[in-house]
Amino acid sequence: MSYPSQLKYTKEHEWIKLESDGTYTVGITSYALDQLGDVVFLELPDENTDFEAGDSFGTIESTKTVSDLYMPTSGKITNTNSDVTENLESLSEDPYEGGWLVKIKPESDASDLLSAEEYESFISEID
Amino acid sequence: MTLKKTPLYHLHVEQKAKLIDFGGWLMPVSFSTVIDEHKTVREKCGIFDVSHMGEILIRGKNSQDFLQRVTINDVQKLAVGKGQYTAILNKEGGFIDDLILYRIEEDAYLACVNAGNIEKDFEWFVSQKQLLDEVQIENESDSFCQIAIQGPESENVLRECLPDLAESILSLSYMDIIQTEIHGEKSYLARTGYTGERGYEIYLPPSAGQELWQKLQQTDIKWGVKPIGLGARDTLRLEACYLLYGQDMNETTSPLEAGIGWATKLESSDFVGKEKLLEEKKLGRKRKIIGFLLKEKGIPRAGMNIYKGEDQVGTVTSGSFLPSINAPGGMALVDFDSIAVGDQIEIDIRGKRKLAEVKKRPLYSAKVK
Repeated sequence: MSYPSQLKYTKEHEWIKLESDGTYTVGITSYALDQLGDVVFLELPDENTDFEAGDSFGTIESTKTVSDLYMPTSGKITNTNSDVTENLESLSEDPYEGGWLVKIKPESDASDLLSAEEYESFISEID
Repeated sequence: MTLKKTPLYHLHVEQKAKLIDFGGWLMPVSFSTVIDEHKTVREKCGIFDVSHMGEILIRGKNSQDFLQRVTINDVQKLAVGKGQYTAILNKEGGFIDDLILYRIEEDAYLACVNAGNIEKDFEWFVSQKQLLDEVQIENESDSFCQIAIQGPESENVLRECLPDLAESILSLSYMDIIQTEIHGEKSYLARTGYTGERGYEIYLPPSAGQELWQKLQQTDIKWGVKPIGLGARDTLRLEACYLLYGQDMNETTSPLEAGIGWATKLESSDFVGKEKLLEEKKLGRKRKIIGFLLKEKGIPRAGMNIYKGEDQVGTVTSGSFLPSINAPGGMALVDFDSIAVGDQIEIDIRGKRKLAEVKKRPLYSAKVK
């Protein structure tokens, strides 16, 4: 499993790409996908919805379990990836590019983001 | 509490299976992925470690009379070398457990019971012995490893693994059981399963079980044998609409509600719980188990409420994405009179109503025979 170093990570197993225009692209890590197993349902919010940091903005469901997706920061959902909701395999095939979930226009900078190295040591502790 | 481990546990760890706590047992939930394993069983052959299941032996001259009095099916119709699906009930007519009862000798029966119910069932059997002499009840669960071999290629796989038994394997009909020797140890080989596919379940001592488990995985690649975890076991049995104790039924559910009236001998001799079932039949059944498929996206899960219009008419007992049907679906316990096959219902999935249709059971036609 890989954790690209140019991305930031959360303890909720999401990755965040800080785009040059100030928006965040958010997805879930290969570790989370491996833990979930086959993803069979993904529910993303409507575009232009506002959320607070820590809110659940969607759900990801595998044959085994359902998990909430959490906002890494307060902000507005500007885009959702409808390709991935229709083609769930792309999540595990390409989690860090084609498998992005939402783009967020943040109200403030996200805090407590982990580097790839910090995230790897975090998951080695919980594994 | 330390989790119990099966005799094959260390082999699962070596194979890097994902392990979970299942009713106090540390069991493999998947070896690859649930959907891949599910399809392996439907198309090729999967092997399952089901050593967590319990084995209770009932022996003695009066064992048939005893079992006729404590199980719901007709034990007098059970010939030596045959098994039958049955259940044991409390006085209120609710399930203590469901089980397969095999007649392994003239006066000896093997009951295969659910892992989480072994102690409860054993104590209940013993408590029902009362004044009946010449019945011995033994909990042999720790002396058995149990391996299930399931799927269209299961017969070929088993014949390759156990060439000495090739003829017996060929001659076994559905629900047959034979006493035999496997890797030099006394074993039982039955043609049963919990997947809706043709298959076998083998009861054997731990060391022979370890040898067989490894040998099964070394069979000719053309049979496509893979180890299967409890995740796919659940989706397979759910498509076939086999009940799961603790989920689809429990001590407050009757076998008539659970849809196994076919295994309930209300016309022949008495058994514990029968009076309540006769009463239920006379007064009219209140609830029943149905199968359903979702017509929208979303995954139904146990405990979610079911609506018809504004009325809540039942609860999901088991739900999942069903790989061979390629749709979400499951089973539910609903009000008897308000729901029929073909009805449109709604399932409350975390606050959102999703449309579903009531289907005939099983959702996937079993190919066990």
